[in-house]
Amino acid sequence: MKFEWFVASRYLQSRRKQSFISIISIISIVGVSLGVATVILVIAVLDGVEHGLRDRFLANEAHIVLRMIDHSFFGNYQDRIEQITEIDGVVAASPVVYSQMGVFQTGSEGITDTIYIKGIDLTQEEKVTGFSQYVNGSIDFQTSPLIAEAELREQETITGGIVLGSRLAQRHGLTRGDVLRLVVKLVEDPGGFGSPMLLVDFSNFVVIGVYESELAVYDNRIGFIDYKTAQKLYSQVGKVNVLLVRLEDAETVSELSPVIEETAFSFMEMPITTTWLETHSALFAALKMEKMATVIIEALIILVAAFNIASTLIMTVMEKTRDVGTLRTLGATRGNIMRIFIIQGSVIGMLGTIAGTVLGLGLCWLLSTNILRPSPWIAIAVIGILILCQTIITFRRLIPTSKALKIGMVFFWTLTVCFVLYCLVKPISLKELGFSEIYQMNQLPIRVNWFFVGFINLLSFLICWLATIYPAWQASNLNPIEALQYE
Amino acid sequence: MEKLIRIDNLHKSYYDGDSELKVLKGLNLDVHKSEILTIMGASGVGKSTLLHLIGTLDRPTEGSIFYEDQDITALSEIELSRFRNNAIGFVFQFHQLLAEFTALENVAMGGYIKYSKYSGSLNGKTQSLREVYEKAEHLLNSVGLSERLTHFPSQLSGGERQRVAIARALINQPKVILADEPTGNIDDKTSEAVLDVLQDINERLNQTFIIVTHDSRISERAKRTVHMVDGKIEE
Ligand SMILES: Nc1ncnc2c1ncn2[C@@H]1O[C@H](COP(=O)(O)OP(=O)(O)OP(=O)(O)O)[C@@H](O)[C@H]1O
Ligand SMILES: [Mg+2]
Repeated sequence: MKFEWFVASRYLQSRRKQSFISIISIISIVGVSLGVATVILVIAVLDGVEHGLRDRFLANEAHIVLRMIDHSFFGNYQDRIEQITEIDGVVAASPVVYSQMGVFQTGSEGITDTIYIKGIDLTQEEKVTGFSQYVNGSIDFQTSPLIAEAELREQETITGGIVLGSRLAQRHGLTRGDVLRLVVKLVEDPGGFGSPMLLVDFSNFVVIGVYESELAVYDNRIGFIDYKTAQKLYSQVGKVNVLLVRLEDAETVSELSPVIEETAFSFMEMPITTTWLETHSALFAALKMEKMATVIIEALIILVAAFNIASTLIMTVMEKTRDVGTLRTLGATRGNIMRIFIIQGSVIGMLGTIAGTVLGLGLCWLLSTNILRPSPWIAIAVIGILILCQTIITFRRLIPTSKALKIGMVFFWTLTVCFVLYCLVKPISLKELGFSEIYQMNQLPIRVNWFFVGFINLLSFLICWLATIYPAWQASNLNPIEALQYE
Repeated sequence: MEKLIRIDNLHKSYYDGDSELKVLKGLNLDVHKSEILTIMGASGVGKSTLLHLIGTLDRPTEGSIFYEDQDITALSEIELSRFRNNAIGFVFQFHQLLAEFTALENVAMGGYIKYSKYSGSLNGKTQSLREVYEKAEHLLNSVGLSERLTHFPSQLSGGERQRVAIARALINQPKVILADEPTGNIDDKTSEAVLDVLQDINERLNQTFIIVTHDSRISERAKRTVHMVDGKIEE
């Protein structure tokens, strides 16, 4: 061991020999580790939110939506789809009849809700969005036995089956087999005497399945029917108004959407594409800004911790001024003196960074792991007993003598803290908190970005290291004679 | 007698703004090998200043200090550190022991620095860290503190601390030991014990001592005493 390490490690330790490391070192270490732990945790949550949303958007949505600017219908779509799938990077495309319909509640005799209806071609849609994996129940829009059953029971004509968004179904108290009456369009009363009264064109659908995407926007407001049925309802047989496109790589949308628009010009009047990134651009921008703000705030927290290290060191330098003088008479160079204090500060910075990383990653793990935890009361009992023991030890001055005992105590306390955290920290259910509507997720998502963890480690260590430079330089510049006479 | 140190026309002034305080004014002095030289003089005459210059802790305004014909005033900062480590031992009025280290570690410190900084060769022979500690233990034995190796300075008496400081000054077998009022802060009886140790070392190891003191008992034991008056030596 170089003598600089020998001296620095002794300065890190407690003078009173009560504990293994001095209180002031511990405070500095805790300062750094809290900064590092919070930044890792908060960024993991923000990253988790962003990636959770991305994954869900990408799983449920087409990458590109192609339509005419006025939403009008167009025919011959099978050829168009072939044309589009020939483009490099496009995997599949599907025809959709997209519309809005009203929910007619028999009891209240009026339209109580408006929902989006996607008329889909099952086989094609499957290739674009993987529709079926989010459905509980049947997707046979024409042949489900529930349809015949309902027809028999209700004595009414049933147009077909419908798959309803889970929250939507829940809101209207509908389960599989129930009949939903939809208002397809409003028509003018043909027999009226120029009266403005409108008649409603109803259609009955049987709920054959429930769609659960965990994205509140969809689960709340969407229903799926067969596109042929939709074409008939709108008297647009052989036509659709939207094409959905799936790409090999969702990140290439901005390059491919102009190409698709270009192709579409040959069969559409004013084609317009909307990419999934555009649809959610405001959300992603907000998340990005939030992340940036967090990094800045957390860097400030670490900076505060670094100032803490600097002031600790300045205090040590003042306290050790005579030591510095003595070491210089013994032959230590300025460089040696400087290194002693840099080592001292860097060890604090490094221990703090490591502890913070372990704590941050540990919390991330606890917040994302659904396993049965012991009751929180056990944790409270354990910590109570331990604080009691420690108080007795401290008050009766039962100071641990051997180094092994001191290290043992530190180890024991660390274990206890880990156990208590394990009991108390569990995944946060946004559903229970009532936030799932806003964040469109049921559980607070956590995603550890290892690159960022590494970056924060380096940043934290660098900041701490920089904080040591000035005090160390100050110590090395002390005049040995004055230092020796320092009171 | 063989000459160890030759001080030639030494000047030292302190500057405070425009005013100059001349402390040493062309001082000449020879120090012989293996002697105990005491320097006496009125307070403020510049004894400590002289000792600091001999100990290379400060640089003279003018003049030279030769150690066996090597002019140390020409050495660089790093070379001076090495020179202090190797050739000089200090004993101060206040013991200046490091509070965080045991008596043994305090004594070994200079050897430790030499071991890790200056590749640890002692008289051409490389010594290991264990040898450093063995030497330190031996030195503490020779100043009568064999029972106090693991004590911290706060657990030692004033006289014991000063004896630890003397042992510490000896760790690298320096050419000279510089002591500034080594008994200035301890009572008469303890002083005697400390002086016994000094004299014993001088006789056994042929170590050279330069001692600044107001204490006439030290000068009685010394082989030679010089007086400083007005920035010069009067023999
Ligand atoms: N760093 C300094 N700056 C300015 N003046 C100084 C400095 N160090 C010492 N002096 C002055 O130099 C003179 C000599 O000081 P020095 O400490 O050498 O005296 P001394 O002979 O050791 O006195 P004492 O016996 O009281 O210890 C004093 O007048 C002191 O005020
Ligand atoms: Mg003096």
